Amino acid sequence: MTISEPISEVDVEVTINGRTRRHRVPARLLLSDYIRDTVGLTGTHLGCEHGYCGACTVIVDGDAVRSCLMLAVQADGGEVRTVEDLAPAGSDSLSPMQQAFHDNHALQCGFCTAGFLMTLESVDPGEWNEPERVVELLSGNLCRCTGYQNIVAAVTEAWSAYHGGGGSRDG
Amino acid sequence: MSLDIDPHIRHSTRHIGRSVPRREDRGPLTGRGRYVADIKIAGMLEVVLVRSIEAHARIVSIDTSEALAVEGVQAVFTAADLADVKTFPDYIPYIGPVRQRPLATDTVRYVGAPYAAVVADDRYIAEDAAALVAAGTTYEPLPTVADLDQALAPGAPKLHDHWESNCSFDVAPHKPEVDRAFEQADHTFTETYVSQRQTGLPMETRGVVADITDGTLTVWSSTQSPHMVRSTVALMLGMPEPQVRVVHPTIGGGFGTKTHIYPEDIVVPWIARRLDRPARWIEDRMENLVASVHAREQRHDVEVAYDDDGTIRGVRCASTLDMGSGEIFMPGTAPVFVTNACITGGYDFPNMQARTTGVVTNKTPSGAYRGFGIPEGAFVMERIIDRVARLTGTNRADLRLRMLLQPGQTPYVMHGGGRLDSGSHTESFEQGLEMTQPALERALARYADDPDVRVGVGYCNYVEPTSPSYHLTTGHWGGGDAATVRVDPDGSVRVAAGLSSFGQGAETVAAQLAADALGVSPENVTVVLGDTERAPYGLGSWGSRGAMMLTGSVLLASERLMDKARAIAAHMLEAAEADIVLTDGAFHVAGSDQPSVSWAEVGTAAWIRYVDLPDGMEPGLETSGYFHPENLQHQLDDTGKINAAASWSNGAHIGVVSVRVSTGEVRIEDYIVVHDCGTVINPALVEGQVHGGVAQGIAGAMYEHFQYDPDTANPRFASFMDYLVPTCAEVPRMEVDHFESPAPEQPLGVKGCGEGGTVGPPAVVAGAVSDALSEWGVDLTECPVTPVAVRAAIRSAEAAGAGAGS
Repeated sequence: MTISEPISEVDVEVTINGRTRRHRVPARLLLSDYIRDTVGLTGTHLGCEHGYCGACTVIVDGDAVRSCLMLAVQADGGEVRTVEDLAPAGSDSLSPMQQAFHDNHALQCGFCTAGFLMTLESVDPGEWNEPERVVELLSGNLCRCTGYQNIVAAVTEAWSAYHGGGGSRDG
Repeated sequence: MSLDIDPHIRHSTRHIGRSVPRREDRGPLTGRGRYVADIKIAGMLEVVLVRSIEAHARIVSIDTSEALAVEGVQAVFTAADLADVKTFPDYIPYIGPVRQRPLATDTVRYVGAPYAAVVADDRYIAEDAAALVAAGTTYEPLPTVADLDQALAPGAPKLHDHWESNCSFDVAPHKPEVDRAFEQADHTFTETYVSQRQTGLPMETRGVVADITDGTLTVWSSTQSPHMVRSTVALMLGMPEPQVRVVHPTIGGGFGTKTHIYPEDIVVPWIARRLDRPARWIEDRMENLVASVHAREQRHDVEVAYDDDGTIRGVRCASTLDMGSGEIFMPGTAPVFVTNACITGGYDFPNMQARTTGVVTNKTPSGAYRGFGIPEGAFVMERIIDRVARLTGTNRADLRLRMLLQPGQTPYVMHGGGRLDSGSHTESFEQGLEMTQPALERALARYADDPDVRVGVGYCNYVEPTSPSYHLTTGHWGGGDAATVRVDPDGSVRVAAGLSSFGQGAETVAAQLAADALGVSPENVTVVLGDTERAPYGLGSWGSRGAMMLTGSVLLASERLMDKARAIAAHMLEAAEADIVLTDGAFHVAGSDQPSVSWAEVGTAAWIRYVDLPDGMEPGLETSGYFHPENLQHQLDDTGKINAAASWSNGAHIGVVSVRVSTGEVRIEDYIVVHDCGTVINPALVEGQVHGGVAQGIAGAMYEHFQYDPDTANPRFASFMDYLVPTCAEVPRMEVDHFESPAPEQPLGVKGCGEGGTVGPPAVVAGAVSDALSEWGVDLTECPVTPVAVRAAIRSAEAAGAGAGS
C-alpha cells in the first residue's frame, strides 16, 4: 500500500466499559458513531457534532474527550468509558453523582446529561470542588433546559464530602 | 383552594403540591433514554436533505446522476417525485398563502430550504451523495431581501409571485380614545425598539424515523405535537388517520421549535412508503441552525403620550414581524399578535393601539420559541416606562407600582381582550423589590472601590397567557385536551393523555394527580404520553398548556372513574354509595375500617368477575375526560377582541447588573424572580421551568443573535462558534419566590409556567444597563446587550454630549 491509496477500512480493538470489542470499521468513522451505531451504546448523544456542546463527552484512557471530534481508529487499543458504565452493575441504584442529579432536579430533557456526567467523572473532585472551579468545569457542556443552577447544586451536593460541606442545595 | 380532590378519599400522603421526584430521570441518567436518533430498525435507510445555498434563486436543474452512481445510494428524490403529496394547508384566511411544498419546486427562498433528499445505506454515504447533488445543482440567483426595510421598499423583489407585496398581513385597528389621550397629554415621544432573531435551540436536533408494517405507517418524530403530525401526514399523503401512528420517543427539548410540522415530517414517511423500507433522518446541528424555525425578530415603532407627573396617557405601537420566507407549517405569524396582546403586561393600561404586520424576507422561516412574542412586547413596555420615568424625573419602581393592577382588580380585560382572570401583579413586584434591596447593597459594596464599574437595576412585570387556543395560530385546531384513565384487574392505574412531554416532567405530574384523585400511590400509576395509537387526541405541549390541560383532563376522567368504582365497591360491601370512603387505596364503609375491598378487587370485578358487579352495570373500568376551559375563546368577538388563553400567569423579574465602563462588560449580579402560576403541583418542576426560561431569556438579552448579510441574505452563522449559547459561566444565580393565585376556571387552580422565565431578561438587562449608565443618558432600545453594544451606546452618548465621559 502506498501513501496515495486511501485506507478505507481498519481493524480496531477498543475496550468499552470493561469489555474488549473488535470491529472492522470505515477509517473515517467517528468515535461517537462507533459507540452509538457499531457498538450500540446510545446513551452518548450528539448535540452539535462540531466539538462545542459536550453532549458526546466520553472518557478515553482517563481523559474526557468529545467523541464527535475523534475517529474510532484513534481509540484503537484504548479504553473508553461511557455513561452506561456509571451506575453500579446489576442493581437499580445510581452512582452518587447520578443520584445527586436526580435529587436536585438537575436534568429536564436529559439529552445533555450524559456529557455532564462524563465530564464530572473524568476529574478528581478534590481538585475541582471549589465553587468557581465547578462552574469552570461545567462551562464546557451546554444545557438548554435547566439554567445550570440545579446542576451546580447537584455537583456541590455530590462532592460535599470533598470539602466537608453540608451538601448545600444553594447553587 | 383546597387540594383535596374528593372528600371521600383520605390519604396518609398527598402528592399534589410536593416535589415528587421525577420518574423520567432514570433513562437519561443511565444512558437508557430512547431518543429518535437511538431508534434502529433492521434494513433502515438514512436520509439526508439537500438544502439551498442561495437565499433566493430559481433552480434551473438538478443533476443527480453522480450521486446515484455512489455505491450504497438507494435513491435521490426531488420535488417532481413528490407530486402526489398534497401541499401544506394554508388554513389561516387573513395571511398570505405560501402554498408550501415538502421540497422546494422551482424557487428557493432562504439558505437552508430543502429541495432534494438522498437515501442511502448509511449516513456517511448519504452525506457524500448529498454533496454531489449540491454540486450538480444549477441556480439562477434572484435579488434578495434581507430585512424589513428591503422587503417593504417600493419595487422590492417579491418572494411569493402570487402576492401583491412581501406583506403577509397587516391588521391596523384605530382607537379614538388613544387619539384623545395624545391630544390631552403634556408630551409625546417616538422611538423604535428592536428584538433580534434567535431560536429555541433544543440540545437534541429534530429527527424522523418512518416505517410501514401491515399497512400502518409508524412515524417516530421528535415533535411536541404527535396528533397534529398524524393529522397532517395523513392529509398530505392521502392516508386514513387510523393507518398513521405518530410516536414521540424521549425528546431532547423543544422550546417551541418542535411544535411546527416540517417538510421532513412528510418527506421521510413518503420515502418509507415509496421504497417500502424503514427510513431515518436526523438533523445535524449546522442544518438545524438554518432549517428549524427562528423567532423573535420584530420591530416596534412606538409613539408615547405622557404627562409631567409620569402618567403614560397612551401608546401607539406598530409591531412588524420578520417572518423569514414564511414557508413553515403552522405559520409563524402568531407571535407578533401575542406581542401586541400582552404588551401592557401586568399594568392597568387600556390606551394602547397596536398595529400588527408580518413581512417575508429571504431568511429561515420564523415561528415558535418559548415566550411566543411575550418577551418582545414586555421589552417595549418596560423600555417606555423607563424612558418616561427618566424624562419626568419619576422613580422607576414607583411609576410601575402606580401602573400595576391592584389586588382585587382582576378579572381585568386588557386592551386586546385578554382577560386576566387572577394574579398577584402588585404583590409580586413588591416582593421582588424587597428581595432586591440586599442584592443591590451587595453589588454596590462589591464595586465601591472600582471607579470603572457602575451598578444598575432593571425591572419587568409581565403576564403569561397559558393554555391558549390554537385557532388563531393554526386556523384549524382548537385548544382542549383529552385523557383516559383505566384501572386494570390487578388494581394498577394507567393514564394516557394527548399531551406530550420533552423534559417538563409531565409523566410525573400526571402520576401525582391520578394518585391523589384515585387514592393510590404514584408508583401504581403508569403514564402514557406522546403516542397517537395509545393516547386520545391531544394537541401536545406548547403555550404553557401541559400542566393545566393534563391535570384538567386527568381529573375529569378520574372523577368519572371514581363514580363507577365507588358503585362497585358499595355493591361488594353491601353498603350505600354515599357511605363509601377510600383510605390509602382501600374502599370501606365510613366509620368502619373492616371489611374493605381493594382497587384490585374492584378492577377484577369490573373486567373479569362480573358476578361481583351490581345488576345491570356495564363492565369495564376505563373513562375519558376532555378538558376545555370555559372562557377560552377561539375567534375574535364583534369588537375584534379575544381572550385566547385559558388562564394568565404573572411574574416580576428584577436584575441587578454591573457594567464595566471601559470594556462594556455586563455582569448580572443577582436575578430575582417572583412568579405566580396558580396552584403548584410540583414545586421543583416549576422552579426548574423558571430557571431554564430565565437562562434562555438571558441568552436573548445578551448573547444570541442570528445575523444575515444585508446584501445577499446569507447567514453569518454556521455553528456554535458564532451563535453564542450561554454556558454555566454566563447564567447567573437566580432567586425564585412564588405566589399562588389559583386559576378560577381550572378545577385545581393550575395555570401554566413554561414560558414566563423567558419574558423578563431582555427588558431587565436593557433596563439595568441603561440605569447603570444613566449618567451618560444611555437608553438601550435593542438586544443583545453585548460589550460592543454597550461601548457603542456610551460612545454615541458622549458624541451627543449627553454627559461627562469616563
